[in-house]
Amino acid sequence: MDRRQFFTCSTSGMALLFITGATAVGALVRFLYPGVYDEPPQRLKIGYPGDFAFGPTFLAEEKIYVFRDDTKGFSAASAVCPHLGCTVQYVGNDRQFSCPCHGSVFDATGKALYGPASRPLEWLEVTLAKDGQLQVDGGRKVPDSYSLRVQASS
Amino acid sequence: MIKEIYRSVFRGDPVSTDKGKTELVFYNLWLHIHPAKVRKEHLKLHHTWYLGFIAFYLLVILCVTGVALMFYYHPHTTVAYKDMKDLTYVVFLGQFLRNMHRWAAHGMIIVVFLHLCRVFFTASYKTPRQFNWVIGVFLFLLTMGLSFTGYLLPWDQLAYWAITVGTNIASYVPIVGSEVRLLLLGGHIIGDQALLRFYVLHVLLLPGLLIALTMVHLWRVHKDGGLSRPLWKLDGGADATREIAMPAGQEKTYGLMQIITGKPIFEMLTPAEEADTVFSYPYAFYREGVAFLLTMASVMAISLFWNAPLEALANPAKTPNPAKAPWYFLGLQEVVSYSAIIGGVIVPALLVMALLAIPYIDRNPSRRLKDRRLIITAFTLLVIANIVLIIIGTYFRGEGWSWVWPWMDRAGGGH
Ligand code: HEM
Ligand code: FES
Repeated sequence: MDRRQFFTCSTSGMALLFITGATAVGALVRFLYPGVYDEPPQRLKIGYPGDFAFGPTFLAEEKIYVFRDDTKGFSAASAVCPHLGCTVQYVGNDRQFSCPCHGSVFDATGKALYGPASRPLEWLEVTLAKDGQLQVDGGRKVPDSYSLRVQASS
Repeated sequence: MIKEIYRSVFRGDPVSTDKGKTELVFYNLWLHIHPAKVRKEHLKLHHTWYLGFIAFYLLVILCVTGVALMFYYHPHTTVAYKDMKDLTYVVFLGQFLRNMHRWAAHGMIIVVFLHLCRVFFTASYKTPRQFNWVIGVFLFLLTMGLSFTGYLLPWDQLAYWAITVGTNIASYVPIVGSEVRLLLLGGHIIGDQALLRFYVLHVLLLPGLLIALTMVHLWRVHKDGGLSRPLWKLDGGADATREIAMPAGQEKTYGLMQIITGKPIFEMLTPAEEADTVFSYPYAFYREGVAFLLTMASVMAISLFWNAPLEALANPAKTPNPAKAPWYFLGLQEVVSYSAIIGGVIVPALLVMALLAIPYIDRNPSRRLKDRRLIITAFTLLVIANIVLIIIGTYFRGEGWSWVWPWMDRAGGGH
């Protein structure tokens, strides 16, 4: 084996080793992404419009605040704090949301007033399902002016 | 007969002879991490404070009690909390073992940190021990990682919200952050997948890594020429420079003496220094045994009188107010309460990088305290700042993370 052969051999050997290694690492990382997410659906039916009182209703399981306003209709805000994910509480007297974890406070439109949260609370799309129930889609963000007006049956 | 069996297990001469004492160490897989003879000065409490050993003993206690807990614990959200209740109320010794595991884990964080400080203040990270310091920093990070993953397992309110906040911090890391969180949780929410992943990390991957690295760490102590000389010996001429391994010779590619730079203690010592050494058996082993017994007794005593906390079942709908991270992260949480990216990403990243770089940045060859004023001041200030922030986070933060005086009637309460 001469010098040239030796170098070709060892470079291709290294290249092969590198490719194999990189593929293995890539495959391993890919493996760690679950094939299915065993998680509740983002779009939820939350009940008939008439079931909601005027003002805020907190849906604990879903971490959603639903607001019913007699002129504007229905709107829904995610109660997940945009800072680090604690559940915010709506304080009716102040018309503010406050977060127990690091003290972020948001106004009624979700805008961060003070505290570490830099982003506003998220507003979620509310639609009417075929069966007449309200439906909130956690995956669809809407501006804070969004609301759904329904001809209330009750 | 009994003597014959004993001789088949321990093959050296009787330990009443010097040869036997040496062979006891040399022929034993576990003991030969020690040299056969050690300097008297290294046995002194006020050089090492035995902190490295205590950290190791706590690790042993954690492994044993951890395996015991595994017999009763299922990593599933529907039963994990019930398993904790069973351990508390129905399993014989369950509460006690859980207490031991919990308190030893807290203790290990404190002790590993104190050990790091000891190594820093005695400047033992300097040549030739730079890399062992780096290994040490990783041991420290792994210890924190173990505490963090263990925190979720009881599936109570404390667990759920500490991990919610902790993993959301990861999403602030630019570019890879949210992917890291997704992989860590195995999904977008903290549910069964997350519990299972944390469990695997906590009982297998992280301890495996920690044990493997600890072995390298101890091996390196030996190979770097044994422990550093205590500071009070420096004025006798034993300076850092004296400990640098022999340079390789020119005429031969290598010789055994050049590979074994660990200074076999018999050959490298002057007769005067030799007189300053003792056999590891019994002097070192005896002291290490005492340190072990004291560690064990302390953990058991604490576990008799204080129970590991267990709050209400995890409830994603209701955040406890205030929601606090584990105490050792409260310094960071305090900063996080001003800005998530600074407290959660920038400050910890800078701290870890600074720790890793210390032995390479600090090129000052002297180990004497008076020659190291600047770096000692900087390090001490950082340590004090962290302790103050942890105290503030623990005692002075109430509802909505607002400032409270601990002696006033306190709503919420902290941990
Ligand atoms: C799991 C955690 C750890 C264990 C079990 C451990 C164990 C030990 C032991 C048994 C010793 C021998 C002497 C002594 O007791 O001080 C030692 C020495 C040493 N450790 Fe650690 N250690 C750990 C973490 C660390 C950390 C976090 C650092 C620093 C970042 C570190 C750096 C060192 C260095 C440089 C030495 C040599 C000290 C000298 O020669 O004086 N170790 N370690
Ligand atoms: S999670 Fe709401 S302020 Fe930090």
